[in-house]
Amino acid sequence: MTMRNEAAGLTLTGPLVGTRGIVLTQAWAGSYCTALLGMLGADIIQVEVRKRPDSWRGDYAAPITGRIRDVPTAVHPWNVSALYNSVNLNKRCITLDLGTPEGIEVYRRLVPHADFVAENFSPRVMGNFGLDYEALKALKPDIILASLSAYGHEGSWANIPGIGGTIEPTSGQSALLGYEDGPPMNSGQMYPDAVAAFNAFGAIIAALRHRDRTGEGQYIDLSMQEANLAMIGDSALEYVLTGRQRPRLGNRHTTFAPHGIYAAAGTERWVALAAETEAQWAALCAVAGRAWAEDTRFATNADRKANEDALDAEIGAWTASEDRDALAARLSAVGIFAAPVLDALELAEDARLRARGVVRVVAHAEAGEWPQVTIPLHFSRTPATEVRPAPLQGEHTRQVLAEILGMSDAEVDKLERLGVSGMGPPD
Amino acid sequence: MARVLEGVRVIDISTSPGGAWCSRMLADYGADVVLVEAPGGHPLRRIGPFADDGTSIPASYLLANKRSATLDLDAAEARRRVVALCRRADIVVSSHAPSRLAAWGLEYASLGNPALVMVHVTPHGMTGDLSEVPGNDLTNAARSGWASINGAQEREPLKPSGWQSSMCGGTVAYAGAVAAIRWRDAHPGEGQEVDVAEVEVMAAAFAPAFLRSVYAGSSHARRDSADLMAGPVPVQDGHFALTLSRAHFWRDAMNLLGLPDLAEDPRWGASFYRQAHKDEYVDRVTAAMSTWKKMDLFDELAVRRVVAGPVMTMEELRGVEHLRERGFWRAPRDAPDGPEYPGPALRMMGTPATLDRRPPRPGEHTAEVLGMTTEGA
Repeated sequence: MTMRNEAAGLTLTGPLVGTRGIVLTQAWAGSYCTALLGMLGADIIQVEVRKRPDSWRGDYAAPITGRIRDVPTAVHPWNVSALYNSVNLNKRCITLDLGTPEGIEVYRRLVPHADFVAENFSPRVMGNFGLDYEALKALKPDIILASLSAYGHEGSWANIPGIGGTIEPTSGQSALLGYEDGPPMNSGQMYPDAVAAFNAFGAIIAALRHRDRTGEGQYIDLSMQEANLAMIGDSALEYVLTGRQRPRLGNRHTTFAPHGIYAAAGTERWVALAAETEAQWAALCAVAGRAWAEDTRFATNADRKANEDALDAEIGAWTASEDRDALAARLSAVGIFAAPVLDALELAEDARLRARGVVRVVAHAEAGEWPQVTIPLHFSRTPATEVRPAPLQGEHTRQVLAEILGMSDAEVDKLERLGVSGMGPPD
Repeated sequence: MARVLEGVRVIDISTSPGGAWCSRMLADYGADVVLVEAPGGHPLRRIGPFADDGTSIPASYLLANKRSATLDLDAAEARRRVVALCRRADIVVSSHAPSRLAAWGLEYASLGNPALVMVHVTPHGMTGDLSEVPGNDLTNAARSGWASINGAQEREPLKPSGWQSSMCGGTVAYAGAVAAIRWRDAHPGEGQEVDVAEVEVMAAAFAPAFLRSVYAGSSHARRDSADLMAGPVPVQDGHFALTLSRAHFWRDAMNLLGLPDLAEDPRWGASFYRQAHKDEYVDRVTAAMSTWKKMDLFDELAVRRVVAGPVMTMEELRGVEHLRERGFWRAPRDAPDGPEYPGPALRMMGTPATLDRRPPRPGEHTAEVLGMTTEGA
């Protein structure tokens, strides 16, 4: 399914073409949820407040660093933020100061043109704007509103603020992440936000189906704590059933060995490998050419699990002189779980992700042309193929307000004069 | 109560945690999910930890809310029955590589049901030179970039805990399945395949670190040990994360910790400045935190509306009143006196997820499911 919006110069593809979200999302969880919907063809109009810009655009005064500094068009730090640009593909961005009556009025006029609204403010904010679910429903009876917050909109912790880096500990995730002999850790990049985004993405699609069939909208209340606890629900159920807290396992598996990441030849070259079946173990012994198969410590999976430290030491001694990629390929070819540990720049060049269209070069008006991770779903009948760069702050205000509300340039000029709209730091 | 997927029939022939989570979500939102298990039982049933009665806990979590039919896909007669089930189904969930489906004659085209939505949840996707290569959460962590940033720089890279790539892959596959069903509602007879690769879902979740590295020209590294800004640090009775992003979080937290000079110096209000000058304050802040108990510090910072994270265990989470108020823990409707399961990831107020069925015993519903195929054949 493809839909062309000539006036906006925009092509929408994918199963959600024909739907529209006018959203107040920010940072990672909310923004990425709505970007995913946009990548499936929904028309996503992101509303941003210049006085309190999206925190992932960074500070207005932040220095431009790295390779971006050498791009001549990269002049506004808030438009060339890697964090913002990574999770806001396939959106249009308008600016409206929701702290002003004029800004709220324009937003209220937009709502009837939306199928869904999503937001990830602290729970009190939408009410303060006069934009809670009941208010939105009065404007559009079948509206879908998804709220993503730290602890949800109901319950005694509802007003406690949180972000990915604090939800990771309070959801039980951090207690499970870490080396077998080490302290609890957080992930390298606030993983709980991604979990919230994926779940809210599915929920909004489900709510759209329900709306289409019944004419009923609904409210979706996502607590990042709950979403992340659900993702380790087997560990939660383990505690319920046995009273035991699962220990940190490093790279190990609850049941199988070997299961680890081992140093290969060179600096920061690592290979992941695991064997779950006896056939995989036999194949691993054959590839390694070591006498492990005859070693009684490693005779069965139970033996290998019981002697896992010794097993890991043996494997590590072997891999240390092996080429990472060649070894991973040899192991994969004989049916063993194996992979090179790729870092971000290697991922950017990964031929497989490029061949499947997941990593693509995206041209951004200020940041230039760089590889980005795009759409992680492949539909055979309704392919979602169109990728647009993250919007500049306020890039589409004039276009969207004209297209949806029929506002004239003079009317938008007035909003800009009042400081309700515009681009960049407020005066 | 309204259900999003009322009347939607799902046949789950997958054997992976990602496939199991996808169909668990479909079941939670009202679909009738039949799990096709080999005679030895779903592979999850052999994965620990195990409850006292010997049942696999991961299997209990991931297979709940479904019916189970024992059918051996390697046997022609059983396979014929599975094909018949798939012909009547709205959604089939598979985790198998293309060659495996071809060997069974269970590829989409062979099923002869153009209205069918077939969802593939596999490690690497259904096309490309990795489509036949085995993968799991460990390899997905390695190939998606996540392992390269998790853990400590002085040690080996670290995969996310448990089955995060399976769970995220299953969640995204659920979203794709519902999008395809919604499409079919509006375009009768138009089924399709949805191909979700767990490694790609995790690469998508890695997008911020990815683009930061691309713009910077150097890959994001793992953290140095005990980096305050990167994760939990020791406090009196455990660990605590203080990831101060906004200026007022910093100011109010430093005042609470008795570090007014850090609180009042305006330079520290900007996060990019704090990141660049970590060495000037990390030791002092960590020392000040170490005398606190984690829930006391959480309570005091909550009053000040500062984001803060005590590292909580499952025992502590079971005790959190807030989660009980929200009805997060619930026993299956057909086993109300049985153990409580952790709840859905979110609350859809108009069409809530429900847990209607305890996990099935292997093949518990074979007869009734096959009765259904006979009737339909």
